[in-house]
Amino acid sequence: MMHFQRFLAAAGFIAVVIALTLLVPRPSDAIPAFSRQYQTSCSTCHLDFPKLNDFGKAFKDAGFKFPKDDQTFLKLPPVMLGAPAQKDLWPNTIWPGTIPGMPPIGLRMNNFFQVSGRHANDFNQLNPAGTPVGTVGGSPYVPRTDFETGLFSIFTAGNFGSGIAFWVDDDISVAGDNSAGGLGDGYLKFVDISRFVHLPKDSLSLRAGRFELDLPFTQARSINLSSYDIYDEANVGAMNSIVPLQQFVNNQFGFADVANGLELSGGHQYGGYHYSIAVVNQNTSGISQSANTSTFVPSATGGANGGLGFASDSNFKDIYSRLSYRFNLERDSASRKAVQAAGATGPRDHTYLSLGSYYFYGRSVQRLAGVLIDNTTPAVVTAREPFYRVGGDFSFNFRTFNLFGLYMYGHDRNQLPIDANGNVIVLPITTSSPLPVGFISGRSATFDGGFLQADYLALPWIMLIGRYDAVNSTADRINGLAMAQNTSFAVPFPATRNRITPGVQILIHANIKAGFEYQIRPKQSVTFATNSSGFPVALAPFRSNAATVGLEWVY
Amino acid sequence: MKRNLIMLGIALGLVSAVAQAGDISGKISAAQGASVVYLDKAAGKASPAPTQHFSLDQRSLSFQPHVLVIPVGGTVDFTNSDSVAHNVFWPAISGNRKLSHNLGTWPQGEKRSYTFDSPGVVPLLCNVHSEMSGYIIVSPTPYYALADAAGNFTIPNVPDGSYTVTVWHEGAKPVSKPITVNGSAKLDMSF
Repeated sequence: MMHFQRFLAAAGFIAVVIALTLLVPRPSDAIPAFSRQYQTSCSTCHLDFPKLNDFGKAFKDAGFKFPKDDQTFLKLPPVMLGAPAQKDLWPNTIWPGTIPGMPPIGLRMNNFFQVSGRHANDFNQLNPAGTPVGTVGGSPYVPRTDFETGLFSIFTAGNFGSGIAFWVDDDISVAGDNSAGGLGDGYLKFVDISRFVHLPKDSLSLRAGRFELDLPFTQARSINLSSYDIYDEANVGAMNSIVPLQQFVNNQFGFADVANGLELSGGHQYGGYHYSIAVVNQNTSGISQSANTSTFVPSATGGANGGLGFASDSNFKDIYSRLSYRFNLERDSASRKAVQAAGATGPRDHTYLSLGSYYFYGRSVQRLAGVLIDNTTPAVVTAREPFYRVGGDFSFNFRTFNLFGLYMYGHDRNQLPIDANGNVIVLPITTSSPLPVGFISGRSATFDGGFLQADYLALPWIMLIGRYDAVNSTADRINGLAMAQNTSFAVPFPATRNRITPGVQILIHANIKAGFEYQIRPKQSVTFATNSSGFPVALAPFRSNAATVGLEWVY
Repeated sequence: MKRNLIMLGIALGLVSAVAQAGDISGKISAAQGASVVYLDKAAGKASPAPTQHFSLDQRSLSFQPHVLVIPVGGTVDFTNSDSVAHNVFWPAISGNRKLSHNLGTWPQGEKRSYTFDSPGVVPLLCNVHSEMSGYIIVSPTPYYALADAAGNFTIPNVPDGSYTVTVWHEGAKPVSKPITVNGSAKLDMSF
């Protein structure tokens, strides 16, 4: 009884501390990197951070500056790296620039609490018979409820003058142990270089470094707690030896992966046209830059011990392009062309309809130990499998309601390995398989899908979210069949895996928010039977729904 | 002779008038923030509304001046010198939400005017830059003063008599107290 009273007292104390932490108002407002420089709130640029409002989009387009008269808004004057008059001496002097008056640093931290569906441990039925769930040799036990450490990130961005913007962000720690942390974006953007070649203003900018592609809807700066399924879809062809469809596609490329390269872009995100064309490294095997080194090959960016390593896994460079047009729908012409619309009770985001399309082209490479056509001389045989991702997107905004969606079609050419007799080698390749000498084209590996999302800012601090994700992939289904016995994880039984994800986010302050998301996932199964037609039939299908609560703050 | 008597009468009248009015001065001590001192009520007929307009600008994401004092019936011209869109609204006047008002949006270089017929504290806000803050103190009488940076203030030419003086300080609850003016009066207060 005494212990119980102590427990109650401790629980009550903790509850009060948490309540005070969350509810007691504080005098300060959000002050990440740009807030500090301009002494303005997060809500100047964000609806529900990190989602940008129209002003935030214009600020980003301008190279992390106010679109006009930036210097009059800066509360921390920049440090001059040379007097402006030095420009008159160029090329006999360094072109003068600036750096921010203080390091423009923002920090971000989040934590989560997750509730898993009661069927989460049903996947462990795939363990060998007799292996108790949650023991050594079996899969880890999946708890129903779980507190999780998220990521701790640093991001720094700003402008060096002369229209040169910079951005660097890095996940210092992920899941509390730094196991998966790493650099996010790190680039310089030369804004409006069109002025040097007598093109219309803002029609041409150059970005160089490491960046998220100019996606229709960003993944890196999404408000959602979970990522878009279609962005994470790697096209891994059907490898199951018991079904007739054979695909030798193993493309780990994900649409939201960070890219290394160059990008040309132009136009504005807050109205009118916008385009981008990027040439980026190809890396479809998922090898990391630091791991792609050779002790025997000197690197141009380092010593003979590999230097920085290589970020690509092939010679080919991928190409990404995007074109969109946003129609602002206000009747008043001046309001329509302004960064923000002039509402009766104050500026607000435009009512608009945006339509866009995108196209990504690359060539996935797989190399095998094989032989020449003489079937004797060892050789490395290389399958180069061109692939593309293409699709369209739309976004409609009315006041604080935003409906947007994206469709994607993915296609990878399928190069099947053949032996010296011209016969297709049965996949997957094993030590007893004949050595490949080359490849022939088979049935391509394809998938499609997308998402549809509605955001409604019910109050300036409450964002309601409804989202539908769909991915249609035959390969996903075949590779995930329990009958294959070579997978420890089941994927949705039907070719379509889709989910519905309602959510809500609450801004406790402009820089602190609590988010909730409930994922209604498709039916899955780990036990199958065969029907009279010989096709597998799922037994006892179940849903592995999950709920997540996130607490995030930036400062 | 008659002329001299008239001049003497005028002189005596002037001396008498000066003797019946004085200044209220003093110091409002506080760590930081602006202070405003005003009389709640003055004897005699109500003062006519001032004809001059007062100005309040939005510049560099701030209201300038941060605190403006006007007499009741005064008109304020709100301007926008920034190249970004602003608006001005107040959710209440001295807590009375029925007196809330939104002036909407107007472009750089233009102005909107508003006449404040109700005395009280008007907290100014901008609905796109939530950090922006300003105040208009609408004094019920023409006897008011905005304290300087050191907290010193003077309300000149206050007729002799007994009044209630109110001191408003940013971030604090207004404080009222009786004061008697007899040639002059002193008021010191700390927040």
